[in-house]
Amino acid sequence: MMVLRSPTPARMGLSQPAILVLGFALLITISACSIWLVNLARTDAASVSHTLEVENALAGIQIYVRRAESAQRGFLLTRNPQYLQLFDESTAALPKEIKDLQTLSADNPAQIASLSALLPKLQEKLGELEQTVALGREGRWDDAVAIVNTNLGEDLMRAVTLGIEAMKSEEDRLLASRAASAASSARWLLAMNVFGVIALISLATLSVHLSQRTTRALRQAHAALSVINEDLEKRVEERTADLQEANKEIQSFAYIVSHDLRSPLVNIMGFTSELEELRTDLFHRLEVLRLRTGDTDTSQDETLAKDFSEAFGFIKASIIKMDRLIKAILDLSRQGRADLQPAKVNTRELVESISATVAHQLMEREAKIEVGPLPVIETDRMALEQIFTNLIDNAVKYLRLDVPGRIEITASETAAYVTFAVSDNGRGIDARDKGRVFELFRRSGPQDRPGEGIGLAHVRTLVRRMGGSVVLESELGKGTTFKVTVPKKLVMRHEGNE
Amino acid sequence: MVSHVTIIMIEDDEGHARLIEKNIRRAGVLNDIIGFPDGTKAVEFLFGPDGTGSVHAGRALLVLLDLNLPDMTGVDILKRIKENEHLRRSPVVVLTTTDDKVEIQRCYDLGANVYVTKPVNYENFANAIRQLGLFFSVIQVPETK
Repeated sequence: MMVLRSPTPARMGLSQPAILVLGFALLITISACSIWLVNLARTDAASVSHTLEVENALAGIQIYVRRAESAQRGFLLTRNPQYLQLFDESTAALPKEIKDLQTLSADNPAQIASLSALLPKLQEKLGELEQTVALGREGRWDDAVAIVNTNLGEDLMRAVTLGIEAMKSEEDRLLASRAASAASSARWLLAMNVFGVIALISLATLSVHLSQRTTRALRQAHAALSVINEDLEKRVEERTADLQEANKEIQSFAYIVSHDLRSPLVNIMGFTSELEELRTDLFHRLEVLRLRTGDTDTSQDETLAKDFSEAFGFIKASIIKMDRLIKAILDLSRQGRADLQPAKVNTRELVESISATVAHQLMEREAKIEVGPLPVIETDRMALEQIFTNLIDNAVKYLRLDVPGRIEITASETAAYVTFAVSDNGRGIDARDKGRVFELFRRSGPQDRPGEGIGLAHVRTLVRRMGGSVVLESELGKGTTFKVTVPKKLVMRHEGNE
Repeated sequence: MVSHVTIIMIEDDEGHARLIEKNIRRAGVLNDIIGFPDGTKAVEFLFGPDGTGSVHAGRALLVLLDLNLPDMTGVDILKRIKENEHLRRSPVVVLTTTDDKVEIQRCYDLGANVYVTKPVNYENFANAIRQLGLFFSVIQVPETK
């Protein structure tokens, strides 16, 4: 027996799921990294906009202070109260800007420090501006100009500008570093994605390669299997052919033997008949001679004649029996070689017509035959008829006399075969004789019914010829069931019929 | 059947040969019967030393042929007789135990004139042979060329 092996079982088994797991892990990693990097980028962007807002606020403070200063100068120079409006607007806007800046830079200790250095200067500057403007409003122009001339305001303004520039440059530095960080995040994201795509493509390629290899291996295994199958079929065919050959040989052996046995039998029979005629002549001559000698005692002659008759009787009976047996073998071998003609057969009608032929015997025995629903099959009508005739005849023949006979014919079907069951409540067959009854000239039980022991041998030969089988189930004294299984569609094997 | 017709009986079983002869005689057939127990001797006689069959020119022959011979099959002898220009018109009666349909067809195809199956039952056998004898007594047999 050949054992089929998968070419590389371990590798085949491990690689595909491993690749799948790896692929999923990779996807998850890439997704996680991407999410993280995108988040990072978002944080960077937020930082950048934060820096810009801080710079805006710083610029705002610077602008408002400068505006307030120029409004103060304009007012003091022209004494036109129109400038006061601008001055008031600018100084009013400053506290909000300062508050914004404080809020925005609350997270940066360096900027807080810078801011706290800047704010007093800013307040001082604003104080100087308010003071001069207040003096101007009171008409004390000279006092106000005197304060401006001290250059105090100019110094404070320079300090404030320096402070703001310092904070701006700090924010610029931060902006540069955050922008760099954002760019790096983006680069990482790109790199990560590129790497992921490459890894996935590699995995996919590997997977395709592996599955191709698996497919190839499967195809090879399949090819190997079909070769084995073919081989097996060939072997089965060879064996079947051998069996058929052997069967044919047995059949032809049976045919030749029975045929050749007939020749000497003709002689035995012929010359026995010749002897009988001779006996007639002999006794006639004996009588003539006896009468000629005057002997009147016929008793001795009668005894002789009786012995002659007895001997002839035995010889003839034996010849007739032998002739019957030879004929049975001949018929059997003929049936074994006969050509079957498949045709559609309604088995129920067939069985019912056979039942009708035994109706008379059934009445005598108060027996009944029940025919169940039987299928229509494609088979050889003659062969099936002989099978059922033999089985039903047997069933009727061996019914018990003490109980009402009952014979039942049913069928059960499978896809390709039908099994007919012929059951009776007759005398049954001893378990020891189950196989024997199918042999030629073998019978079971008390030999009180006529028969040669041929019927079941015929049944078996015919059933086998049809490609089926026959078995029996029986309980002594209870009844017997013969089960005949034949194909629903008879297939003729092509074999020579010589 | 005119008296100069010779019956050639090719039958390997001497018992059968004897029974056949007896029963033919019982039918009143008195012609010469020459028996051969095997095919070789029969062929030698039928076709002569030169194998042409011309040795029987001018004689009238009727052949009783058994198919199951020890050394050859009767079918071959039948074939040779029917293919021989001198013997082919001689009636051949196949008298054998075989009742195989194919065999019977083959013999008639080869030119057998009558095919009779030997019945096993002696009464039938004797009866059949006697009737065959009666048949012989009425048929015409041509002379060989």
